[in-house]
Amino acid sequence: MGLANSILLTLIVFSPLLAVLILAFVPRHQGGVIKKIGVLGTLLPLALSLMLFASFNYESSGLQFTETAKWISIPVGLQQSGAIFSFDLGYELGVDGISMPLIVLTAIIATLAAVASWNQKKRLKEYFILFHLLLIGMFGVFASQNLFLFFIFFELTLVPTYFLIGIWGYGEREKAANKFLLYNGIGSAVMLIAFIVLFMYLNTMNMDKIAEILASSGNPASAAMSPEFRFGLFLAIFIAFAIKLPVFPFHTWMLKVHVQAPPAIVMIHSGILLKMGAYGLLRMGIGFFPEQAYQFATWMAVLGIINILYGAVLAFVQKDLKMVMAYSSISHMGIVLLGFAAMNTIGFQGAMFQVISHGFISALLFFLIGMIWERTKTSMIDELGGLAKSMPFASGIMLAGAMASLGLPGMSGFISEFFAFLGLFGQMPILAAIGTLGIVLTAVYLLRAVLKTTFGPTPGRFAGVADAQPMEVVPLVVLLGFIILIGVYPAVLANPLQQTLKTIVPIVTGIGG
Amino acid sequence: MSVSITSYLLVALILFCVGLYGALTKRNAVVVLISIELMLNAVNINLVAFSKYGLYPAVTGHIFSLFTMTVAAAEVAVALAILIALYRNKETVNVDEMDSMKR
Amino acid sequence: MDTLMQYAWLIPLFPLLAFIVIVSFGRQLKEGAAAVGILFTAVSFGLAVLTFWQRFQEGATDYKFSIDWLKVGDIVITMGFEINQLNALMLLIVTLVSLLVQIYSKGYMHGDERFPVFYQYLALFTFSMLGLVIAPNLLQIYIFWELVGVCSFLLVGYYYFKPEAKAAAKKAFIVTRIGDLGLFIGICLLFWWTGSFELSQIFDSIALGKLEPWMITLAAILIFVGAIGKSGQFPLHTWLPDAMEGPTPVSALIHAATMVAAGVYLVAATYPLFIASDAALNVVAYIGGFTAIFAASIGLTQKDIKRVLAYSTVSQLGYMMLALGVAGAAGYVAGTFHLMTHAFFKALLFLGAGSVIHAVHTQNVFEMGGLWKKMPITALTFLIGCLAIAGIFPFAGFWSKEAILGAVYEAHRYDLLFIAILAAFFTAFYMFRLFFLTFAGEARGKHEAHESPGVMTGPLLILALLAIVAGFINTPYAPVFGDWLLSGEVGTIIEDVFGAGEGHAAAWLQIAALGVSILGILLAWLMYGKRAIPSDAIPEAMPWLYQLSYRKYFVDEFYHYVVVVPLGWLGYLLNLFDKYIVDGLVSLIAKITRGIGALHGRAQNGQVQSYGAMVLFGLLLLIVAITLTAQGGGVLGIGQ
Repeated sequence: MGLANSILLTLIVFSPLLAVLILAFVPRHQGGVIKKIGVLGTLLPLALSLMLFASFNYESSGLQFTETAKWISIPVGLQQSGAIFSFDLGYELGVDGISMPLIVLTAIIATLAAVASWNQKKRLKEYFILFHLLLIGMFGVFASQNLFLFFIFFELTLVPTYFLIGIWGYGEREKAANKFLLYNGIGSAVMLIAFIVLFMYLNTMNMDKIAEILASSGNPASAAMSPEFRFGLFLAIFIAFAIKLPVFPFHTWMLKVHVQAPPAIVMIHSGILLKMGAYGLLRMGIGFFPEQAYQFATWMAVLGIINILYGAVLAFVQKDLKMVMAYSSISHMGIVLLGFAAMNTIGFQGAMFQVISHGFISALLFFLIGMIWERTKTSMIDELGGLAKSMPFASGIMLAGAMASLGLPGMSGFISEFFAFLGLFGQMPILAAIGTLGIVLTAVYLLRAVLKTTFGPTPGRFAGVADAQPMEVVPLVVLLGFIILIGVYPAVLANPLQQTLKTIVPIVTGIGG
Repeated sequence: MSVSITSYLLVALILFCVGLYGALTKRNAVVVLISIELMLNAVNINLVAFSKYGLYPAVTGHIFSLFTMTVAAAEVAVALAILIALYRNKETVNVDEMDSMKR
Repeated sequence: MDTLMQYAWLIPLFPLLAFIVIVSFGRQLKEGAAAVGILFTAVSFGLAVLTFWQRFQEGATDYKFSIDWLKVGDIVITMGFEINQLNALMLLIVTLVSLLVQIYSKGYMHGDERFPVFYQYLALFTFSMLGLVIAPNLLQIYIFWELVGVCSFLLVGYYYFKPEAKAAAKKAFIVTRIGDLGLFIGICLLFWWTGSFELSQIFDSIALGKLEPWMITLAAILIFVGAIGKSGQFPLHTWLPDAMEGPTPVSALIHAATMVAAGVYLVAATYPLFIASDAALNVVAYIGGFTAIFAASIGLTQKDIKRVLAYSTVSQLGYMMLALGVAGAAGYVAGTFHLMTHAFFKALLFLGAGSVIHAVHTQNVFEMGGLWKKMPITALTFLIGCLAIAGIFPFAGFWSKEAILGAVYEAHRYDLLFIAILAAFFTAFYMFRLFFLTFAGEARGKHEAHESPGVMTGPLLILALLAIVAGFINTPYAPVFGDWLLSGEVGTIIEDVFGAGEGHAAAWLQIAALGVSILGILLAWLMYGKRAIPSDAIPEAMPWLYQLSYRKYFVDEFYHYVVVVPLGWLGYLLNLFDKYIVDGLVSLIAKITRGIGALHGRAQNGQVQSYGAMVLFGLLLLIVAITLTAQGGGVLGIGQ
């Protein structure tokens, strides 16, 4: 157990490689075998991440399962003493209460997305190889404790996603893929600049060390950075992750991706990839520059409210079910921003809950939309209707998913929404009150979309449509199960978050007084 | 009587500018080649001048200019050979029409 | 003796179990689902009776129990349950009505293809409603508050294939959610002001004067906004009449007896908050009073039997709010008392209406008539219900309505008293208009009506009995109920503020109220029973007045054009904004980049000479730049 634990993270991060290797040797025409390997391959990281969950120490607030190794050392010059002065980039992994749940979430969603890919027919081998490469990137992002490593993994998620959208998407897939790459490329560039500046000043890429140096005012490297300079860096990091989250007005790429990408990829994209934005914002933005984040909190809240209301109003008029859900994602990510803006434990808790919960909910809803498209070849709301008659099970789950999404108590969406708003009410009650309008609007657009799809008279052409097949029931039930579990017993998620958030918040609230 | 280094450098400058003008504007490839030779020679004058009147006078400059001349001769030979080959293919030595880099 | 109360948490648990069983085995159970639902609810009812009985004992203390649910930072959020007078009463009402409705539904829903689903929803609703009434803290109240809302939504939309049901379900959910927003904000603010969700701690903070007066007023009004939404008070009443698209037993259970009363319950449960602010109480009183008269005036002209009952419900709920709003122990008792009696007679009326609809397959009262002989039990019980709601001695409604009038009179709120008496007149009139149109005269429709089966008439008879006797527990001569209700913790707080109230009207007021009601009945009889006065006299004389009432004061139309349509327009505008401005800007940037690229591409003409010229130009620029910037330092800063 000791050895396994000491390299557990590496195992998790690189376990999808196994599937990639095996897939490389399977002949292209054996579609069934490829699918099975593709799905089974995701079970390995899932099992490992459940191990991580089981052996996680809830009492500790610091990093766990840390792994450090020397990786790259670039000699850049001689010091006065004659010793070689070099840039060291370490291979550093570790998880704390924030990243551990995200790794587990990634593993779960990945498995379900692999199952959701069951109906994929085109170029299966490449599809699953890219799929698993994407997994490596996602695990790496959440596990790495080194900015350089983080950046590499972050970029690693872009490339497979680009091809997965561009090759296996719907009609305008290439355009969507290009837009995706363009926006995220810009985001990465801004992020890279911020990272390099940090590295130049602090001469380390280790996240913990950076946070430590920046927090200690006595350190000369830290003293060299004026508050304005820090604010600039914070803003750069904020923009980089705001594009990913996405925050208005950087959101249009995400709409195209959600409409054009294949359902399984949208599940991953909306379930996990967007969450990397929130994670980065908390870990690097607020974690490194708490004072600057505190100054920026009002703006964050305003942006969050814009996201919520803007996304909700636009979701209300969309004609395509996918667009409704895409705008709904924007609206829900606004809640994450609100939670961050609250700058207290409750708000952060709400934001992180929202991150996880929206991961499950949007995966569920996009999976359902994929199912409906599979059967009816349309996702236009006006063309659909009365599906509850022929697909009672799927419609029921869809209604449940919508309820979870609009924050029905007993489901995960409520906890996150409630705590994010509760946190903000403690700081900016008026802004929070404006934001709560989003709760009503969410109900309006979700009910409009879901009721138009499932309720009403059943058109003849949908009378013979089949309900969920066993292979589809599994993801639906598992996802809904998690949604309800978090909603009824939120401690399952709150306990790991607790300790870590406790370490971030005192720094922040210490400033706020 | 000694001529100051400025005069040498001025001659070299004029020579270089003439060469540069020719290299950039003349349409005949042979003239362009000759202009390039002019520029090389301007550099040679500089080298020799500095090796005599520079901060650290040494023989290196002379030897360098000898080298340059040899290499330039070889270069012109190659260049002319290419020109002839081009002329055989395209029946022109007009630089304007040599834009195969674009295609 | 507290042993039984410790197990009160089992009361909501049994319906939850029923829900899980029916969800799991619904397909196998088929109509057996009814048995499961009834059985489990019966157990709950038994427990509720025992709990209530124990509360009724002398010297029973409030019981509270909670466990940690979630830790956020240093705050521990608990879940639990509390049994006090009000809770125990609500437990009893909810389990009883739910049990009777489930028995009734076995007959009413017979043959429906989604029979188990119906019982699923009913069980879930019963669970949520019971969870709501035993919640000891605001967060828990909010959780179950939303859950009952969603059950209501599901049941209203039970006939999902009907577009009207779909629209009504959506409306019910969204309009109540607007109210919930107020509650949500109120809870959040109270949490930050008092540091807790627990009701008892909030009351303590108020008692200790920790909150500014404006905070109390604001919080109380926000909570009341939640109650407005749930209890269908003006201006959020529009969803309730539409919610009649659901199956009739649902209307009886949710939209008459229990869920819509949750708003009243909420105000009663947080009453110490309200009595700390006169402004908040006034808001409650005037909104309640206005709703009472407003809804009653709409009820006068409606043609759909269920809609008349729905507006009657709205009106009666307004009555309860009015009672709570006029403050004092008397108002508190009267409001709660009316909540109880109303639950019985309104459930009775709805179930009776369901029985009629079941027989004649129409909801239009002008297509009914002459059912007195064909459906004797239904007619008799319906008559009892009408008498009770009209406030005729000695039915339950007489006592509770009289208590309300007394409380209003005692508080010297004569404007509200006038409204209340006028509303009572309207109520008597439209209820008996309904009765005469449905049961008296000749049959106007083409239908073979016959009495409903025993499984449906049984609950009717039980409720009719309750509608007769329930009032006697709180007569002016022996206010057992009032004394009991005020003996609890909340009651003590109220009495501390106001002192024990008499809360019963002077004899002349009783007689006046009775007279007004009888007048209303008489008028209805003359118009629709004996037809001595032509019923279209008023519509012909004053068509605009009739239209105003018949079209529900155009509130729905108002909302449609003021809220829904602008929202749609806003959406379309923003959609264009998103497409052409936000996305357009990005495309513009991309286009500019491409343009610069194209411009540059033209320079790549393959001419060595032009390349050379460019190099020269660049070199010159560089040299100039460096010479200009390096002041005194020489080129490239060498020699510094």
